[in-house]
Amino acid sequence: MEKESSGKSSMIPDHPEEGDRKERVGKITRNFFLHIHATRVHLYSMKPTYTFGLGIILGFLFLIMVFTGVILMIYYAPSVETAYQSVKDIVYIVPGGRIIRNMHRWASQGMVIVVFMHLLRVFYTGSYLGNRSLNWVIGVVMLILTLLSNFSGYLLPWDQLAYWAVTIGSNIAASARELTDLLGITSVIDPGGFLKKLLIGGETVGQPALSRFFTLHVIFLPLSMLVLMGVHFWRIRKDGGLSRPLRYAGDKGGTNKWYAWPVLMWTELAILILVVTGVLLIALLADAPLLEKANPSFPENPAKSPWYFLGIQELVSYSAFAGGLLVPLLYLGFLFSIPYKDREDKYVGEWFSGKKGLKLILRSAGFALVLVILQLFIMVRFGGLRDWIPGVSQWFVLLINPATFTALLFFIVAEVTRKKMKSNRMAALVLFTCSFVALVVFTVVGIWFRGPNWEFFWSASQWPIQ
Amino acid sequence: MKRRLFIKKTAISLAILTGVMAAISYLRQFFPRLAGKKRRIALGDPRQFPVDTYTFMDEHNLFVYRDHEGIKAVTAVCTHLGCILEKSTDGFECPCHGSCYNNDGEVLSGPAPRDLTWFQVSKAADGKIVVDPGKSVQAGDKLLTT
Repeated sequence: MEKESSGKSSMIPDHPEEGDRKERVGKITRNFFLHIHATRVHLYSMKPTYTFGLGIILGFLFLIMVFTGVILMIYYAPSVETAYQSVKDIVYIVPGGRIIRNMHRWASQGMVIVVFMHLLRVFYTGSYLGNRSLNWVIGVVMLILTLLSNFSGYLLPWDQLAYWAVTIGSNIAASARELTDLLGITSVIDPGGFLKKLLIGGETVGQPALSRFFTLHVIFLPLSMLVLMGVHFWRIRKDGGLSRPLRYAGDKGGTNKWYAWPVLMWTELAILILVVTGVLLIALLADAPLLEKANPSFPENPAKSPWYFLGIQELVSYSAFAGGLLVPLLYLGFLFSIPYKDREDKYVGEWFSGKKGLKLILRSAGFALVLVILQLFIMVRFGGLRDWIPGVSQWFVLLINPATFTALLFFIVAEVTRKKMKSNRMAALVLFTCSFVALVVFTVVGIWFRGPNWEFFWSASQWPIQ
Repeated sequence: MKRRLFIKKTAISLAILTGVMAAISYLRQFFPRLAGKKRRIALGDPRQFPVDTYTFMDEHNLFVYRDHEGIKAVTAVCTHLGCILEKSTDGFECPCHGSCYNNDGEVLSGPAPRDLTWFQVSKAADGKIVVDPGKSVQAGDKLLTT
């Protein structure tokens, strides 16, 4: 192997005998399902520390969702009168129903965690570079679909958790009214009301909302996901396999490539077994929560969304429109735009874009951490704008709050980086790292440090007794 | 224009037109036609409400306040994200994100974008009081019962 010296020493040549080669190629070409891989895969793509198998783990988790979901669907009755009781039946009467429901719940949360890890992996290895921009966009769409699937599934048990999380969620969609009200144009054009009506089919969460969420959850979202998953995998093949550094770009022929059968396929089968075992173990140990039946007159206090939305809930506690729509949409806009703004292909396939990038990432993370915590400290200790200036205009509440302030500051820092280092990739590293750290901090605060009336508490043990 | 080109262009235009019309009428189905008018709520005899007290009507998500002069009604739904307010000593408080209102329903602190809406209260022919969530009134307006 002539390229051995430039690569990692772990790269072992794979040159089987002619007969053996034919058989191993044939395994793949004769099988529709094994076609997910090329007959030969580059060694760099198979390095565990390069991909951590996150994409394939997501695929397997999705499989678990489908299989357990079908069983749940048989016993679940999507009506306001029967939904809660049918979920109780699944937990207490259907043999094994509790385990199936637990698996469904924990696998879905696993998907949220792994999908973000996958996003981090793909971003920090620059795997959207080259001709992979379309696949990055498809990936971000699937990230959104994963979150929507989780959110729509959250309403179905029709318990207190479900009802109030979706009430809050649908009103976040309607919060565009905050802006149109201020402009005085709500009676003419009302995108907030339009979105809310589309989402829950009415003014408050009721049977229309349940029917809509059920349809979204069992048909529209999984089907869309399945189609996009197909395209996502197909694009990897079309784009020349998983990304790898430029020094391996020329490895078109036999060098540094291994036959996918049997090693890769068996490894992936092992991952499938590990994933299922993991989810099963967690399902045996921890039960998915089910609160009292939904009561439209008494919200839980605190009424918290699922944990992965608590970062956004923390932001909406400053302003519904800015924190719930404006900043998240800007963030998604940023994610979508990354591969079109950053075309510096020399960084493809390299973790953190080398030492310079890693240093920048660590500094950005530290900066974001300090900034966000400082802001939270000010908000908790000294209150928001309304506490300082009573009767202040809603415009200021909407425009000046930790959500908008953080976003603006991150953007400025990224822009300065771009000018200074003359590199879009470095600017993207800064903005991506900062916004991700902020998301994590806001989420952590929402999960562990917010109590009744969304007040700050160091721990849940300090919550007042009600 | 050659005949072949004319037919081709016409066919494409017709196909696009049909597609757009089908798409519009299909997508229209996702938007229900909601009743614009909100139903009036009959609350019964005004004397059943204790004096100088905000009574929470849990079926309708309303607070009804009665004093010696009259009776008035305010929504119990937070203008921020739709949670149901709790009565605090000198106003209303939202359990979800901590918005605070005074007794007149004006925002004091928190993320709520608007003051609470007061609804028109009227007396029906049989002497029972009726709240109309479709009609808003000023915070001080009440139905005089004296």
